[in-house]
Amino acid sequence: MDFPRILSGNWELENSHKLDVARSCGTYGRVQKALAMPPVELIQIVKDSGLRGRGGAGFPTGMKWSFVPSAEKRGNKPVYLLCNADESEPGTFKDRYCMWKDPHLMIEGMIIAAHAIGCKVGYVYIRGEFRYIYDRLWEAVHEARAAGLLGENILGTGVDFQLHIHLGAGAYICGEETALISSLEGFKGQPKLKPPFPAVEGAWHAPTIVNNVETLAAVPWIIEHGAAAYKAIGTEKSPGTKLFSCSGHIRKPGVYEIPLGYPMRDLINVECGGLLPGRTLKAVIPGGSSVPIMTPDEVARCNMDYESINTLAGSYLGSGGMIVMDDTTDLVAALTNLLRFYAHESCGQCTPCREGCGWMYHILCRVRDNCATAEDLVTLKDLADNIHSKTICFFGASAAMPVQSFLLKFKGEFLARIEAASKGLPAGSHVSPASLSVVGA
Amino acid sequence: MSSHAAPIPASRGPVEWPDALLPQVEEILSRYPTRQAAVMPLLWLAQDTWDWLDLDVMRLVARTIDIPPSQVHAVASFYTMFKKSPTGKYLIQVCQTLSCALVGAEAVIEHMERTLEVDEHGNSKDGLFTVLRVECLASCGSAPMMQINEHFYERLTPATCDQIIAGLRSGKPLALPRPEVDKWTFPVS
Amino acid sequence: MPKVKINDIEVEVPAGTNMIEAAAVAGVDIPHYCYHPNLSVAGNCRMCLVDIVGGRAPEIACNMQARDGLAIRTDTPAVKKMRQSVMEFMLVNHPLDCPICDQSGECRLQDYYMEHGDYDSRGVEEKVSKKKRQDIGDKIVLDAERCVECSRCVRFGDEVTGTGDLRLMNRGDHTEIGMFPGERLQHHYQGNLADICPVGALTNRDFRFQRRVWYLKQTASICSGCATGCNIQVCHQEGEVFRYLPRRNDAVNKSWMCDEGREQVAGISGLKRILRSRVDGKTVDTEAALIALAARLKSATHVGVVLGSQATNEANWALLQTVRKNLKSARIFVTAGNDPGSFEYADKLLVDTDKNPNSAGVDLLAAFDGQVESWEAFGSAVADLDLLLVLEDDVVGRLAGRRTAAAIAYLGVSRNATSEAGSIVVPVCHPVEMDGSYVNRQGRVQRIRRAVNAAGDALPAWLIVDRLGAKLGVAPGTGMVAAAFNSMARAVPQMRGLEFKTLSEAGQQLIVETAPVAPTEATV
Repeated sequence: MDFPRILSGNWELENSHKLDVARSCGTYGRVQKALAMPPVELIQIVKDSGLRGRGGAGFPTGMKWSFVPSAEKRGNKPVYLLCNADESEPGTFKDRYCMWKDPHLMIEGMIIAAHAIGCKVGYVYIRGEFRYIYDRLWEAVHEARAAGLLGENILGTGVDFQLHIHLGAGAYICGEETALISSLEGFKGQPKLKPPFPAVEGAWHAPTIVNNVETLAAVPWIIEHGAAAYKAIGTEKSPGTKLFSCSGHIRKPGVYEIPLGYPMRDLINVECGGLLPGRTLKAVIPGGSSVPIMTPDEVARCNMDYESINTLAGSYLGSGGMIVMDDTTDLVAALTNLLRFYAHESCGQCTPCREGCGWMYHILCRVRDNCATAEDLVTLKDLADNIHSKTICFFGASAAMPVQSFLLKFKGEFLARIEAASKGLPAGSHVSPASLSVVGA
Repeated sequence: MSSHAAPIPASRGPVEWPDALLPQVEEILSRYPTRQAAVMPLLWLAQDTWDWLDLDVMRLVARTIDIPPSQVHAVASFYTMFKKSPTGKYLIQVCQTLSCALVGAEAVIEHMERTLEVDEHGNSKDGLFTVLRVECLASCGSAPMMQINEHFYERLTPATCDQIIAGLRSGKPLALPRPEVDKWTFPVS
Repeated sequence: MPKVKINDIEVEVPAGTNMIEAAAVAGVDIPHYCYHPNLSVAGNCRMCLVDIVGGRAPEIACNMQARDGLAIRTDTPAVKKMRQSVMEFMLVNHPLDCPICDQSGECRLQDYYMEHGDYDSRGVEEKVSKKKRQDIGDKIVLDAERCVECSRCVRFGDEVTGTGDLRLMNRGDHTEIGMFPGERLQHHYQGNLADICPVGALTNRDFRFQRRVWYLKQTASICSGCATGCNIQVCHQEGEVFRYLPRRNDAVNKSWMCDEGREQVAGISGLKRILRSRVDGKTVDTEAALIALAARLKSATHVGVVLGSQATNEANWALLQTVRKNLKSARIFVTAGNDPGSFEYADKLLVDTDKNPNSAGVDLLAAFDGQVESWEAFGSAVADLDLLLVLEDDVVGRLAGRRTAAAIAYLGVSRNATSEAGSIVVPVCHPVEMDGSYVNRQGRVQRIRRAVNAAGDALPAWLIVDRLGAKLGVAPGTGMVAAAFNSMARAVPQMRGLEFKTLSEAGQQLIVETAPVAPTEATV
């Protein structure tokens, strides 16, 4: 594979997080050029590059930026740029690398993005558990401020951009952009109703753009090399490179930058070093715990891009958090584990998700422990359907999709538990598959 | 499953910001267009100062921002990292979510709970440790893992856990782990 | 104005109308918990999910603004299933309290379950338990377990009272409504929390377990507690009034009323009511009292008459007419301010400093008459009067120890210093016992309605005065309340064109220069 390492290029350097090292690699070298450009032109380049949001939704970044009302329309309202560094989708840990290894690249991306949307003050919302990275980000901000790269009149261009780091405190939902805004504003991290959309009315009722760390980190390269160069990487509809967080039953778990469109099979077998000896693949969750699970057949067919995974496996590339599960995995326990997560993380605002996630988790506990009936599986499926797309934010669907897809694609494992229950077998002694319950829930 | 429900915090008596912190309080307030937005950073500052957030600390934050204390309480109760009750000197949060669970998190948790003899609240007998099961900490590639106070300890086994605990018990300053994220190398394919 | 369709019924509604309201115009009821017309939209209950014709996913009607061509359906199988499932989610952790819950009968969980739920229960998991029977205020008891987390009470505290006291704590299915530990509600609008709570989480301490609500009848009326004139429903059963509820009128009180207003209920059947007529310390029937009163009025040389801002327009009009037609030399006065002992609190929301429901009405009539004298004039005239006829006003208490030699005739509802000093006392109906009208502080004429029978021998004051007029010579023709109002409306320019029968439930804003004060330069 021959491709530029747009995001991870500096990660192996000693002290890659320090300003002087970053600058020696070209970071901040694009600021002068970008700030001299009219914002509309910047937005057009990002639009043309086909860059899509790397947080999970894959929404075209340039288009998102263009939704900010013009200065005339928004009157004297400011515009806010928020960097979503709340990385908390289980199976996803790439932004942690970006921020730890190369915080200045992300900051450079923010400076450029801020200019494109007319923003003077931005915030990085970083999850509370990344407190050690939070400290590093502030160091980077202070370094950049001292070098005239942040603050007033950046590099003498007349452009102002102030950046603050905001520490979360333990809530998965704050990765949802409107929940992130609520949290930043000093409230519980609960999603807001749309419309209005944040680009029109977001933080403090002002137009607000929320972009993922990885998305922003890709912007400087695009500005330097142009939209066409970026579009030349990856696929037609999914251009560029992407960071994949790979975990689970693989020999070399970690973060890998690869061009979109790369075969999933190769990612597992080559980059990730394949499965452990003697194991076979059972299932993969390709894009963070929320997306539908995939079977080995689907894995063999799919490439790591937005379209392939969606059309060929009915799942999503999501955040690129790939969780690989081999034949030792108890998928009933795995799903129970995930639903415990969603029940714990539901913000509690709207009815179906608040009440439904805990309910599904409790049913799954009974299924796992050989205490459930076939009707329970019907109820489980029905509850998931009743939550999906009936909620304020996407969290409801995120909790429902694993249930729906596990039940659809691995129904046998669930039926085996029902059978075991009907025979009065104690928990852990279900008939099939061979129990190697590495998963506790 | 760990409970969401925050215990009703007790109180240690009225508090005020130490003089030395006042500039920091002001700086935090200056970062945002509204005072309300300073709730979380001020709760963090308060937690760093008083170890955990009792009702009087919440009242102080409310006073500082000029909002009803119930709003501070609601925020504090929503986020799991704001401590509404005291913990041991070392707060050990072991990830139990899927990627960690797939590679042995349960064994690590059980080992910790057993060797530290924790009660139903996760507090060790000697009061030095609090062991909690938590959800994904975004270190799935270095699973199983745990966070002790603010640092990540990764690729754990029961044996490495014992070493870490022994190190903490020895009373020496906490030897900071080199996070896995620091060891990253691009795979040669 | 945009035209929208609800189940193929086309209606035209003002731009910005949400689809719950638009559907109501079309006669379609969209069930909801969190939506309240006088609070911001929260969109959390999900009960108002509807299908959009040509849309991809269901949307909530409360957050959907009418726009031209928008068509929604509430009658599809998908909508039916969504409503059923929301009910199921709401009830899965709801305690089985109905038999002991005071909300029964006005509980949206019960109502909507019958209408939209009606499924076989499959909730077998253990329910989440929360704190019950909490004392969070003088007027309110909180049961967090019954809460459906709709956040109406939270928004009420944030948006109406500005106290920000109630919050939803924690998250997920452990989300729990509550106050900051140890604190209690401090505002004067607590009763509204019980009103807007769609379930039995917030109940009214005063009303709890008094009556099952399905026995109660409601009569639309006006609170007589102050000059604001909050629109209310009087809830009563078999002649007894159990509570006042605010009645929505966005021009006056939105959907709210104050706690002091609600407490007025206690005065209706209270120990202080005047139940029988009295002449010189002897209980007599009202006819006898009026004969005596007429005789004394005729024989007195210096008669003073005090209009009552506690009394209706009709009563004051009748009194003005009777006096002017029969007692040419009598002087008529208005009082200013509140009865001694009326509650002191006032705010910028609803509670007015003026505790009289009809000061503006009296001022209007006084201005019309042109000869009515001020309270200050009364102060200097009082020593010269030998008979004082007082309509529902504690003149004696107001004089605060300054003696008057005049004999006093008092027409009033409850005992006070004036009734105690009165040689003739005639019982008047409480506002819930009669029809009539007040003019509130905005200059809005609003109807009160008879909800229950009069206590004792009490009669509406307009009727008493009409009978008195007959005995004095010329009756003012106010023996029927509608006649009293209509004759007033024909005479008083600001009321011209109004008719008692057609006065709407929302009242009528009068074209008034702010109610003029009675001319002080009026001569004796």
